Amino acid sequence: MGTPESTTAGRTLRARAAGLTDQPLTLLTVGAFWTWLVVRWTNDFLLDGALIERNTSFFPTAPFEAAASTLGGLAASLGPVGVPVGWVAGFFEFLAASIPYLPPLATGVWATILLTLLGIALGFFIAVPLSVARVYGGTLTRSLALGYTELFRGTPLLAQLFVLYFATPLTTIIRELPTVGAGFIPAQAFWVAVIAFTLNSAAYQSEYIRSALNSVPEGQLTAARSIGLSKVDGIRHVVLPQGLRYAIPGWSNELVYLIKYSSLASFITVRELFERTDAIASETYRYTELFVLAGLLYLALVISASLVMEYVEDRVAIPGLGTTSR
Amino acid sequence: MSDPLLELDDVYKSYGEEQVLSGVSFEMDAGDVDVVIGPSGSGKSTMLRCVNRLTEINGGDIYLDGDCVTDADTDVNELRKQVGMVFQDFNLFAHLTALGNITLGLRKVRGMDKAAAQEKGYEHLEQVGLLDQADSYPAELSGGQKQRVGIARALAMDPKLLLFDEPTSALDPELVGEVVEVMRDLAAEGITMLVVSHEMGFARSAASDIIFLDDGRIVEHGPPEQLFENPQAARTGEFLSRLETAHEEE
Amino acid sequence: MPPLPLQSDWAFVIGNLDLLLVGTGVTVALTATSILLGFLLGFPAGAVEVYGRGPLKRAVETAGVVLRGTPLLVIIILLFFGLSVSSSAFVTATIALGLRSAAYQSQIFRGALQSVDEGQLEAARAVGMGRLQAIRSVVVPQALRRSVPGFQNEFTIVLKDTSIAIVIGLGELLTIGQNLYQGGQSTAALEIFLTVSLIYFVLTFVTNRSLDYVDDHFSIPGGERA
Repeated sequence: MGTPESTTAGRTLRARAAGLTDQPLTLLTVGAFWTWLVVRWTNDFLLDGALIERNTSFFPTAPFEAAASTLGGLAASLGPVGVPVGWVAGFFEFLAASIPYLPPLATGVWATILLTLLGIALGFFIAVPLSVARVYGGTLTRSLALGYTELFRGTPLLAQLFVLYFATPLTTIIRELPTVGAGFIPAQAFWVAVIAFTLNSAAYQSEYIRSALNSVPEGQLTAARSIGLSKVDGIRHVVLPQGLRYAIPGWSNELVYLIKYSSLASFITVRELFERTDAIASETYRYTELFVLAGLLYLALVISASLVMEYVEDRVAIPGLGTTSR
Repeated sequence: MSDPLLELDDVYKSYGEEQVLSGVSFEMDAGDVDVVIGPSGSGKSTMLRCVNRLTEINGGDIYLDGDCVTDADTDVNELRKQVGMVFQDFNLFAHLTALGNITLGLRKVRGMDKAAAQEKGYEHLEQVGLLDQADSYPAELSGGQKQRVGIARALAMDPKLLLFDEPTSALDPELVGEVVEVMRDLAAEGITMLVVSHEMGFARSAASDIIFLDDGRIVEHGPPEQLFENPQAARTGEFLSRLETAHEEE
Repeated sequence: MPPLPLQSDWAFVIGNLDLLLVGTGVTVALTATSILLGFLLGFPAGAVEVYGRGPLKRAVETAGVVLRGTPLLVIIILLFFGLSVSSSAFVTATIALGLRSAAYQSQIFRGALQSVDEGQLEAARAVGMGRLQAIRSVVVPQALRRSVPGFQNEFTIVLKDTSIAIVIGLGELLTIGQNLYQGGQSTAALEIFLTVSLIYFVLTFVTNRSLDYVDDHFSIPGGERA
């Protein structure tokens, strides 16, 4: 009995990625994106600005500005025919305006990626026992697991962030912990956000995994028990290896979700990509350019995640173990 | 002559209101090949699953090699090391190769190391004639091949008793033969087998005893010659002749 | 005598229940308008992805990818501060949530349309119906029914996403909670946000059960998932 999320949305992710990943242009763009990011981070954090100054972009704005004004003039002189030329001019103008902001946004991307990876990984370790409890547990464990899941899936992530940040002493507790806020280690708000994402993501992941476990035919566990495996070992060695493979599409969905909703951490002062963009935009009033740029960066992250998950799915695929049980 | 290998003593099993097994009693000696026949719903599969406690009984006792296995404090996993089962739907571990299906139990339950388990795995694959399919996944095998792997998987645990739950019922007719052949070889080797099946050919030629189960009760229990040529109970004769006619009409 | 902090915090929340209920009303209204917009755009989009061809199909697919791959926060800020599509926060929020929902609803409908057996369409054509007619009278009704579970899911997602409208100052439920916390009693943080969460929980619960009822009411006896 699969939740609609895991089947429809799973097809959503893969179908969409399939449409794009065949395009060499996509792979090229994603490759360029990561190259730029890694060089930027290396320069800023590891080399302390050795290649180029911290806040200066690698890319010069002058050529784009020049191109924009030339094409703009050309478009004007061509009249209605020049409209497409005007678009290209607009595009170059957009590039010229946004390029200076790439460095601080790159720092934001780092925080976004860290938030997402920590949230989903830690959430996974909670989600697996949670879903096993929902499928194989006794009445009490099952109800507790269900209660947890319903609670975190039935309330907005933003409300959960607010509760953890404003209504609990978490910030104070974390601030006192050693190394928090020192050097590479982000400050306490970041960790509160990680906790919120972990708890929230665990609930959603456990739903995907639960329906995947239910897709594993009952006979598999029966056969495992018939050769003398205990129930726990049967689940571990026979049901989970199959169930987790079925869960990949839903899980990929959750990864994409977290990448996008990590932006909510900005509400509790975490300096991730959205917050950085907003901070610059409110000073410069260049909302459109900056947020289109931010949108493109998020898109690049999302597409990268889809590509990685496609690769993972292919790598662990077993003939006959499809995403729908026979 | 020692204790019987398997003994069912007045076994009862009900699901709620429905009485599935009523006072079932019989014995099997080591090396026996008993085939259980009967109409659908007669409780044959349930009885089989009670022997390795995949299903729990409501009354009576079951003894394996003199030990009462239906005691509350019997280690169920230990029991299943000694009683192997072959399923109608094969139930091969879909994420493992044919070899992997066999070695999982050897490594995790019998504690063998990987190399030893693989060696034994190859032995049993050869026994069922599937050595060349060792690295194939269940989805890549035909029904008959799947069932033979299932048999090898059960055999590899070196059980005292092998249970067969309608092993050929889910197979296309042309694939039945290869599985029955393996079962005949096992019978000839002296493996103790308790088989629920409709394969009358196997029953006639390989069985030491046939048990006719109807409505949760053993109606007749005796050697094949008796049931087929000279049935003691009227119902036995009726059931067998209905089967003959059905086969003729195919 | 100093007031017992715990008691007055809850009293503060209860005293402001009317404000919270107004916020709840805005939340519900925003959910309804966004889902509706999402359906009006999403269903045709889904149909285009299944039955369409060429540049239109590609355009719809790309729009979908972009809308599903961009955070709602970014979309809403872009529409409000960047492109300034409306001075009303409610209208802007509806457009943002509606576009996002359309992108996801299109996938729900695409999946549902594709899951209706080819044979249904064939049988309809065999009776003499034109392609469009066949799709409309035979495939679409079945697809709509199959969409209900996914739609149910989408409904609760949009309901929870309305909280993001806080960023453009729309007076929905979470915003009211935030205002109470910051403008009024900061010690009542736990009580305020727990109450807000409880209201959301009740809303999602009621929505799910109502849609379960709708699902049952419109389902075919014996099921059609044959």
